[in-house]
Amino acid sequence: MTTSTTFWLLFCVLAPTLLGLATLWLPKKAITARTLLALLGPVLSFAILVQHLATHGVSSITAPVASPVVEWIPILHMNLSFMTDGLGGFFGLLVSGIGILIVLYARGYFGPDEASLYRFYPTLGFFTTAMMGIVLSDYLLVTVMFWELTSISSFLLIGWDRYDKHAVKLAMQAFFTTGLGGMFLMGGVLMLGYATGINHDEGLWRWSEVLTQGAARFNPSDPLIIAAFGLMLFGATTKSAQWPFHYWLPGAMAAPTPVSAYLHSATMVKAGVFLVGRMFPVFAVLQIWGNIIIPLGAFTMVLGALIALNQHDLKRIFAYTTVSQLGLLICMYGLGSLHYEGHPNIEWDITQIANHAFYKAPLFIIAGALGHYISRDITQLNGAFKKQPWMVITMLLGGYALAAGPGTISFPAKEFFLHAIYDAHESIGSWWMLLMAMAAITAMCNVAIFVRLLTTLMGWPGGMKPASGHGHDDHGAHGEHEHEHGFWAQLIWIPALVLVSLQYVGGLMPGLWSQWFAPLETNMYHFAEGVPGALHAFMHPGVPLYVSLVAIAAGVTVGLSGLMRGAIVDVHDRIYPAMYWLAVTGGGRAFRTIQTGRFRNYLVFVLLAFLAAYVAAMILDPAMMDVPPAESPFEFVPGVLLGVIICATSILMPIVQSRVVRVIILGSCGFSVVGMYLLYQAPDLALTQLMFEIISVILFVLVLRMLPDLKETDRASGRWWRFSLGTLTGLAIGWLTFISAQSGAEPKLGEFFAKNSYTGTPDTQGRGGGGHNIVNVTLVDFRGFDTLGEITVLSIAALGVFSLFPRRKPLPTELEFDDSVVRGATA
Amino acid sequence: MTIILSICVAVVFAVSLYLMTGRELKSIAMGVFLLGHAANLSIIAMSRTPVRHEPQLLKGAPILTSSFDPAHPMNSIVDPLPQALILTAIVIGFAVMAFLLSLLVLTSRKAGTLNLEQLGTVATQDD
Repeated sequence: MTTSTTFWLLFCVLAPTLLGLATLWLPKKAITARTLLALLGPVLSFAILVQHLATHGVSSITAPVASPVVEWIPILHMNLSFMTDGLGGFFGLLVSGIGILIVLYARGYFGPDEASLYRFYPTLGFFTTAMMGIVLSDYLLVTVMFWELTSISSFLLIGWDRYDKHAVKLAMQAFFTTGLGGMFLMGGVLMLGYATGINHDEGLWRWSEVLTQGAARFNPSDPLIIAAFGLMLFGATTKSAQWPFHYWLPGAMAAPTPVSAYLHSATMVKAGVFLVGRMFPVFAVLQIWGNIIIPLGAFTMVLGALIALNQHDLKRIFAYTTVSQLGLLICMYGLGSLHYEGHPNIEWDITQIANHAFYKAPLFIIAGALGHYISRDITQLNGAFKKQPWMVITMLLGGYALAAGPGTISFPAKEFFLHAIYDAHESIGSWWMLLMAMAAITAMCNVAIFVRLLTTLMGWPGGMKPASGHGHDDHGAHGEHEHEHGFWAQLIWIPALVLVSLQYVGGLMPGLWSQWFAPLETNMYHFAEGVPGALHAFMHPGVPLYVSLVAIAAGVTVGLSGLMRGAIVDVHDRIYPAMYWLAVTGGGRAFRTIQTGRFRNYLVFVLLAFLAAYVAAMILDPAMMDVPPAESPFEFVPGVLLGVIICATSILMPIVQSRVVRVIILGSCGFSVVGMYLLYQAPDLALTQLMFEIISVILFVLVLRMLPDLKETDRASGRWWRFSLGTLTGLAIGWLTFISAQSGAEPKLGEFFAKNSYTGTPDTQGRGGGGHNIVNVTLVDFRGFDTLGEITVLSIAALGVFSLFPRRKPLPTELEFDDSVVRGATA
Repeated sequence: MTIILSICVAVVFAVSLYLMTGRELKSIAMGVFLLGHAANLSIIAMSRTPVRHEPQLLKGAPILTSSFDPAHPMNSIVDPLPQALILTAIVIGFAVMAFLLSLLVLTSRKAGTLNLEQLGTVATQDD
């Protein structure tokens, strides 16, 4: 592989966005040309990826090969390099392949709606690129970046209808939930890179390195590694809608159906599964892998299935079955960490993932199509077969796969899962029975949903009938669009048929499926020769098969019965609104409590915080309260006198009433400070202070003349606490001054300035300040920017003072104008 | 001498904070003014400059005497950096003071009071 490979793969990632943006240059009316151009993006991605996999082969997971690195931001460990192992390659093909079908479907779905298509294709291309980036990038942080981009594009697509406030809220909900997970993921990746780099030159920042060297470098009980894994897993679970974060996925159904079918069933929600699959070969040794992932996945699986059964809106039904299936996939990787007969307890995991995409996307596509022509509410769809036979047939084909009937690839996939649960009894004891019961309930719900779909759509007895006063909760595009006619109209269901047919290819021709998927799969143990056919399970009966049969029988019964036919509200839907309320209302209350707008409160807060910090420092380091040795204070009498004047004048300040006397006192205090500067051998300071002190006293006198002599009424208020607070803070700062002035070390920072103020040294490349007054040279040369800032402050203050006061000659006010003239001119 | 200066810092700081926690704007302005003095004195105390009993400037002697050793300048002269920092602080303190005083005048003209409590009620009446 050469660098050009990397560039080809980069183009493969970017093509959907580039061509999506290119469609913006086409005239609005040219929708056929627009569709074809947008189609080119995923087609190119797909073709390049297939060509790449054919040329270079699928990179093995134990010795992955990434394409050569093209430097992008090396210092942040973000470079361009792509890895096409089985998982990444498969996801790349899945994303671009379904992308092709979705572009076509969108043409049928939006029909002749030019404005929607104009906006839709670039946004869709943006998402496709982000998703391709996640699955192909070799650098972890680049993956994280694309991960965030999918959250953004998902937000744009869920809130597609910008004027529907409800949809925008749901878009925010999805964005915040998955964005939060993205933050966790980034934290995990950074922590992983740090933890693996502690005893090495460089941490692990690339998937290919993590997969090859991770096992050697990880200590499974290292808390940093466990924390990194936990954070990354949190990111995966929010994206893949695991309990309790699954609420965003049904909410995301506010998006147009092409988006639901693409992002929220087949691709984006699987990014979490992808991440878990990527981590699986290395991180599965962690104790918490199975302990967290198995229960989480299993609970999400059974919860999603039960809620799905109690829904009426087709899109919500399928959204909850998606939640359920995502739980199953996560649980599958969890079970994979357990060992059975010396190998990981997982079989054909990529087939599992493909299986779900191949039936769920078609179901969504047809749900959107039926919503377009009839309704998305299942109770309104009784006998829909007579109106839209092809759509109904396609949907039932997908529904049969949902129920995992024999003849679909779904059937062996479910058998693999049940086998994995059964085989786990070696590791987890009788807990397998609980897991098996959960799986059986899930299977039962899926079968029941299929039976309901079948009886209702065909208009057979036992189907759902319109309830009186049903809650109609589809916020989608139902009835919004004009219907398309002719060939393009058929695109609203043909892509679904194409996709669902792959289910039956796998089910009926397992050899062909195995030929396609075996190169991508890593985990093939019992069935290394290929996916078993439909009859295999019946030839080798065992506990899993019996459980399946029981689940199917129960599913048919429940489906035909009157049980669980209502539409329930998921309590988890309240999580986000509650958090939102807490942040907005609670935050507002906290703000109003803390931000009083009173100067005094802020000052007291700051001083109390300072005192608390001082006390904490005192407790931590009691030595700071030891009295350092000091010379006698009375060694130099003029200094003592100046000090007495400074203290006395300050103390008089709040006591004296007359304002003129106060100004005089203030002045004498300042002039004593000038004397202090002189004693401390600072003539520049003394001169400056003297000048400003004179100006200040004059200024104060002027100002006092301009102010009315108001009686101060509140002098007594809060006197004692003000006195104690001031005294305590003053003592603390005085003590700090004293001990730092007496401490033993002699850090003389000024040495550099003293050396360089006239002639230069090698430190300053031979350049000196050329001045004898070190303080002056320091101000204008070495700390020139400080002085620039100082001059700026002075000018701003001068401008402020100037603009605050009205000019001597007031400008003519509005009243002096003749109003009628102005009005006449404007009228 | 450090003790004297530390006491001065403590006293001036305490008084300025006492004035600043008050409700009267004139006192607050004076408190801000004093606070600048206290901070500057604290910095000069921490610079550990030895006190000269007879300031050389007054005698007209040059600051850099023949005992000045360019390789180790700090042996014979005081640390110039704190002085440069304080110089900047004095100028900025003055700018802040001038601006504060003009705000004071303007506030008293517009509101007719300099009491913070009464100012609060004035503002609400305007709304």
